Amino acid sequence: MQPNTTTAKRILCIEDEHFISELYARALTKAGYQVDVQLDGQKGMAAAQTDAYDIILLDLMIPNITGIEVLRTLRNPAKTPKMHAKIIITTNLEQRDDVRADIEQQADGYLVKAEITPKELVDFLNHLKI
Amino acid sequence: MDYRRCKHKRGKLQLTNGKRTNTFMDFLSKLRHQARSYLFLIVFTENMLLVGVWLVARIYHPGLPTLYIVIGLAVVGLLNSLLISHIGEAHLMQPITALWKAIHHISPHGTPEPAPSPTDYTFGRDIITNLTNNLYQLTSVIQNVEKTNKKATYDLRANFVANSLPLPLIVLDKDETIVYTNDATNKYLGEAAADLIGKNAYTALDMSFQNEDTLSSWLKRSKNQTATANHKWEHVRIGLPGQGDSLLFDLAGYYNKDNPLGYETLLILFDHTEVYAQDDQAMSFVALGVHELRTPLTLLRGYIEVFDEELGPSLTGELQEFMKKMNASAQQLSGFVDNILNVAKIEDNQLTLQLHKEDWEQVIKTVVDDLYLRANVRGITIKTDIAQDLPPVGVDRYSIYEVLANLLDNAIKYSKGTSEIYVTSRLNKTGQVETSVKDFGLGIDSSILPHIFDKFYRNHRNRAQIGGTGLGLYLSKAIVDAHGGQITVNSKVDEGSTFTFTVLPFSELQQNGKELGNPSLTRNAHGWIKNHSLYRD
Repeated sequence: MQPNTTTAKRILCIEDEHFISELYARALTKAGYQVDVQLDGQKGMAAAQTDAYDIILLDLMIPNITGIEVLRTLRNPAKTPKMHAKIIITTNLEQRDDVRADIEQQADGYLVKAEITPKELVDFLNHLKI
Repeated sequence: MDYRRCKHKRGKLQLTNGKRTNTFMDFLSKLRHQARSYLFLIVFTENMLLVGVWLVARIYHPGLPTLYIVIGLAVVGLLNSLLISHIGEAHLMQPITALWKAIHHISPHGTPEPAPSPTDYTFGRDIITNLTNNLYQLTSVIQNVEKTNKKATYDLRANFVANSLPLPLIVLDKDETIVYTNDATNKYLGEAAADLIGKNAYTALDMSFQNEDTLSSWLKRSKNQTATANHKWEHVRIGLPGQGDSLLFDLAGYYNKDNPLGYETLLILFDHTEVYAQDDQAMSFVALGVHELRTPLTLLRGYIEVFDEELGPSLTGELQEFMKKMNASAQQLSGFVDNILNVAKIEDNQLTLQLHKEDWEQVIKTVVDDLYLRANVRGITIKTDIAQDLPPVGVDRYSIYEVLANLLDNAIKYSKGTSEIYVTSRLNKTGQVETSVKDFGLGIDSSILPHIFDKFYRNHRNRAQIGGTGLGLYLSKAIVDAHGGQITVNSKVDEGSTFTFTVLPFSELQQNGKELGNPSLTRNAHGWIKNHSLYRD
């Protein structure tokens, strides 16, 4: 299914592993989403702050600015005006439970990439209330 | 009350009313003179009166017997003495009375007394004025000293103990605004006091806590419930995890409702950055390793899915079977990576379980569905027999998944050509939910059974034939133990093995927690841990 650019939900995928972002973009585009990919934290954060996206897939280990910093900046009203996008953490980095809980509290979802396939990611996002 | 009625000049207390200024000695000399004059006048008057009585008796009554005259003189002398002593006493006591009144006037205790007015006194008026003024001035000096001392005691900026304390001390007012930070705080946080004072504590400090027992939740609770309270938190963080400049410390708080000085909350920080960071790094080595394993695993699973979906239907039966096996292998690898991670967490006492009320049949079915492919590619069917009367159980869904997945994975691996595995679950005699995973494969020698749950221990006889790390059963036992259950094994060589474990019904778990005085349903792999308000039905 090709995305209808006027109604398709827009997804920003901040992911430095090119093969993974490629796989995700392919599956999500097929499912009708419009996907932009950013490979580093700095550019990803700037793109997210435009509030042009409905969903942001945010990896934690990304260059320039870590995903946690990006998340905090996007959730800080003093640094980012209120944005409507849901932020879903997609990571393979195992966190201490307390750190993970802290991140989960600020995000709208937390997924371990190795535990889901691209199709399962699409299913998850389809069930997200936007 | 201002007692300063005279000026302090060149060390002498001097009256300010009147043109000439007199010293205390002048007044004392004047008083002596006045007293001498009074006494002289009294004695002279008395004597003159008696002489007058004697003369009147002799001139006008020459025949009056001497005895009568003496008696008359004695009576007149007595009456006169009484009258004069009464008048004299009233005058001579005036300075003492005035001083007594002045002392009572300034005394903070007892009934309030009006200040004595010098115009009310005729005897020693000047010295009364002088002494009372001295008294008032001394009191004023003492009050000033007390005020200065009080200010020095309560103003923390001038408080030696607060400033010199070698631990960071932060004071908040009732709005949780920072009103004081000592030198140790400024050094520790690397921020000047001026940058912190006046700011909201949560904005300026941005602390992260291990669970929902945070500073703000404690303050909220304390403000509603108590006049004073103490609390302590461990492993509090300022800054971002994994970054060099983050600070890790224990925090102690003291709360005093409506403190008159505005110092409602005191916080002391105990730095443990080095120790806690080492703990973090120990885990981060495993975490980084796991991250590196998971990235290619994510890709493998992704590409397998793409190939399976888009090419699968066009492939031959054999290639389709290879695709399934590839997928099952990727899943198995994913499980293995999770095992490594969880064992590392158990070793570091960092595996935390959040026990929730779960439908046990649902949990079992999820695991069996996920393991279907792995069993299927080996020609094995997993059959389930779950009793219908099972109560909801209290488990950590993710950890107990690992237990079931490991037991099933082992059963698949050791089935050795047999085609069935049974998963059964029922309520046992002690009221616990008992679940068994039974295979009909290789079985385990009785000499090995006692060590089967040890870390890295594997069935030696089968080591050459079957892959594995020996972590699965060790991990399963640790997780079952942490749930408050038991795990056992029955096995016979060449007949198969049955692994059985128990978990507690949620209601029993809840009751146990209450009896232990710890209603927490958060545990780690070594027993009960910190409080946690996850007491949910």
